[in-house]
Amino acid sequence: MQHCDPDELALAALGEQPAPECAAHLGDCAECEREVASLRRSVAVLAVPALATPRQAVAPPPQVWAAIAAATGVAVSPRPAEIEAGLSREVPMPRSTEVETAVPEPAGSTVLPFRPRSARGPAARWLPLAAAVLVGGLIGAGAVAVTQDGAGGAVVAQAGLDPLPEQVASGTAEVRERGGVRELQVDLDVPALDDAYYEVWLLQADAQRMVPVGIVQQGATVLRLPDGIDLAAYPLVDVSVEPLDGDPTHSGVSVVRGELAT
Amino acid sequence: MSLLAVRRPPLGTVADVPTTQGSVQQSAEPDDTEVARRFVDGDEQALAWAYERWAAQVHGMAVRAFGPGPDAEDVTQQTFISAWTGRARYRPDQGALPAWLVGVCRHKIADTWAKRERQRRSTEAAASEARSAPTAGPGSELATEVADRVLLLGELNRIGQPQRSIIELAFFEDLTHAQIAARTGIPLGTVKSHIRRTLERLRDRLEVDGAALRS
Repeated sequence: MQHCDPDELALAALGEQPAPECAAHLGDCAECEREVASLRRSVAVLAVPALATPRQAVAPPPQVWAAIAAATGVAVSPRPAEIEAGLSREVPMPRSTEVETAVPEPAGSTVLPFRPRSARGPAARWLPLAAAVLVGGLIGAGAVAVTQDGAGGAVVAQAGLDPLPEQVASGTAEVRERGGVRELQVDLDVPALDDAYYEVWLLQADAQRMVPVGIVQQGATVLRLPDGIDLAAYPLVDVSVEPLDGDPTHSGVSVVRGELAT
Repeated sequence: MSLLAVRRPPLGTVADVPTTQGSVQQSAEPDDTEVARRFVDGDEQALAWAYERWAAQVHGMAVRAFGPGPDAEDVTQQTFISAWTGRARYRPDQGALPAWLVGVCRHKIADTWAKRERQRRSTEAAASEARSAPTAGPGSELATEVADRVLLLGELNRIGQPQRSIIELAFFEDLTHAQIAARTGIPLGTVKSHIRRTLERLRDRLEVDGAALRS
């Protein structure tokens, strides 16, 4: 008996109608039913009306700000008329321009979890092409927060760095140019590592060829880029976990990645 | 932590003062992005602006959960205090400031439920002690649910984008996966696989730390 596609079981847990063949199978299969039930618990706990995005705005009474001001010690005050005006504002929820840009789904692609180190070998050096392009393309529009500043030259490209599946990490990257010298600044929020370090790479779009740029850490790191590197040819910023094993090549384990947008 | 505040001096350059760029236009009414930037930088005026713009939405949520009155006011107040003192945790690249405030408010609502539940149980325990009768165990359905809610909201915070936005649209906007794909422009198959991975992750969290196991 063919079990349901796990993705369909997740939809069923959310209360959606799964694909017809899965719906038919579910009635007969205790194993698939159990999977749905186990996934449904978090839906039952979180998808409750009281936690939904607000629809009905209510102006808070003045004592609320008074308590905030007392607790934080701020000396400014909001204007009551503006709070009233806030009644008609909406809380922006993610849309395509904020989350990411739309990309066509490559045939048969999936976003792969990071490759366990044990799977590494000459033939398993790198994530498959489709996954790499998909991840890179998805992330390009994530660079929303970095504004230009004059301290280190003009910002010529920037990228939001988003976690690869199963990774808890994030960051931003920007390339600045001054006097013909380009530097890559990477700001990372990453877990601490034992016996390993983070390295940043510039990847070609196919993720087959790459240039190591240097070692990066939690927080901000600025690295000089090799002269003459064509960022259009190496548009992906990738941060990998490199064990202290003396192997200078990419470990195959990436934590964040993003596409430079100029 | 501000992404913009921490910069090392650029390599290979001598100190000089650039004058051509870098100053942000300081208008009287900045846009939401600018409010968010100044909020993160600790500009007190930005807290007042954020309150003007989004307190009514946050309070609307609190009132929906608890009705008008002291509990709702406390949630709104705690949301802004906690957002201000914890502003270093706000990541502009992970979403807009008002959406983050709504997320903080969710935590405050869940915390308030948990607090009420603890009070109810201690009252009940005191009452049953007086009667020398057994009381409902700590694993009662309501107690489990309020504790799991706090746990899972915390786990949601640790999920990266776009996975987090996708599951929030499913949970809190009640959108179907097809609607989420249309709204975000993310391919349908990717939306489905992200939903599955996130639900599996939340389930794993419950299996490891869920209230049902602790009781």
